[in-house]
Amino acid sequence: MPAGWWLRKRHYVLYIVREFTALPMALWLLWLLYDVKSAGAGPSAFQPPRSIGFVVFSAVCLAFATYHSYTFLKLAGVIIHVKLFDRPVPPTVIVLTMFGLWALASIAIGAVLIGFAR
Amino acid sequence: MAEKRVATKEKRITIKATRFDPEKDEKPRLQSYDIPFTDESMVVLDALNHIKSYVDGSLSYRWSCRMGICGSCGMMVNGTPKLTCSAFLRDYWPRPIVVEPLTNFPIIRDLVIDMDDFLHKLKSVQPWIIRKQEMPLGAGEHLQTPAQIDDFRQFSQCINCMLCYAACPVYGLDDTFLGPAAIALARRYNLDSRDQGLKQRLPVIAQPEGVWECSFVGECSVVCPKGVDPAKAIQQSKLDTTLRFTLPYGNRD
Repeated sequence: MPAGWWLRKRHYVLYIVREFTALPMALWLLWLLYDVKSAGAGPSAFQPPRSIGFVVFSAVCLAFATYHSYTFLKLAGVIIHVKLFDRPVPPTVIVLTMFGLWALASIAIGAVLIGFAR
Repeated sequence: MAEKRVATKEKRITIKATRFDPEKDEKPRLQSYDIPFTDESMVVLDALNHIKSYVDGSLSYRWSCRMGICGSCGMMVNGTPKLTCSAFLRDYWPRPIVVEPLTNFPIIRDLVIDMDDFLHKLKSVQPWIIRKQEMPLGAGEHLQTPAQIDDFRQFSQCINCMLCYAACPVYGLDDTFLGPAAIALARRYNLDSRDQGLKQRLPVIAQPEGVWECSFVGECSVVCPKGVDPAKAIQQSKLDTTLRFTLPYGNRD
């Protein structure tokens, strides 16, 4: 296949964008692991980056993570095949449940982080 | 008078078809044919048949039923995998239509591709009902409820047209991938209440070249002319095989 195969169709482009969004997230998570390791050596060793560049990079990563999660959860209705009272659960219900759980998890994690920060 | 001449002028359309003779040509090339577009119900297959009958009898391509059932006439129409019997000329006219053999397959001649790899993969998932012990004929039919049929009906609609393989970049990049139609067919039998062959199919579908090679591009389901949704079959198989592997007693029958 030619290197530019993914430019042939809009659907292919969106697929590549979806897959690409995982890459900056992986880099950001590597940094997080490094920072967690530093924190383990004591408060003096823990020096999180505070530059504007890193804040911008983090904001971009957050946007990518949100998009990646959205595309992933949107497909949950296709993937999950469950029955309730002998009837298949409609994909829309599955997708909405997933987004609901995502929102709840985000609120819970946010609350814990804010709680620790205080 | 001039207006009348324009009105009665025969409508025509240009078909650019791939030509390739392995004994003469180094690589495929496109050849243009200007043919009459006489009827709004004409499809690309009609255009190819016109070329074959009246312009160039050496053009080679597969077709049979002409009604979207046999799955023989799948080709690339302006870069998209389509059944040529269902691709109307009116949707493309007055632009030319480029007709090429299905991508991701070796070309035998002109618009004819080599199906051997696909057929081998199809057979590898054992697409038939497997029973641990056959019931005697006298025991009667294997009865199913409408709900049990609904479980697999969608995946049983595949006509083996191979459009999904032509649309799949994963198969294009790595032809060891089992592919959308074969996995959808395996899913069809695994969901069938009469079948007991899941454990015989698992070694084929759960291997790295099986469901795990798929990265969910989803184009297979977009081009499927029968609404089979092979991407759904693959993702559901991923979840099922994972649960069988991870849950206690998940691998029991």
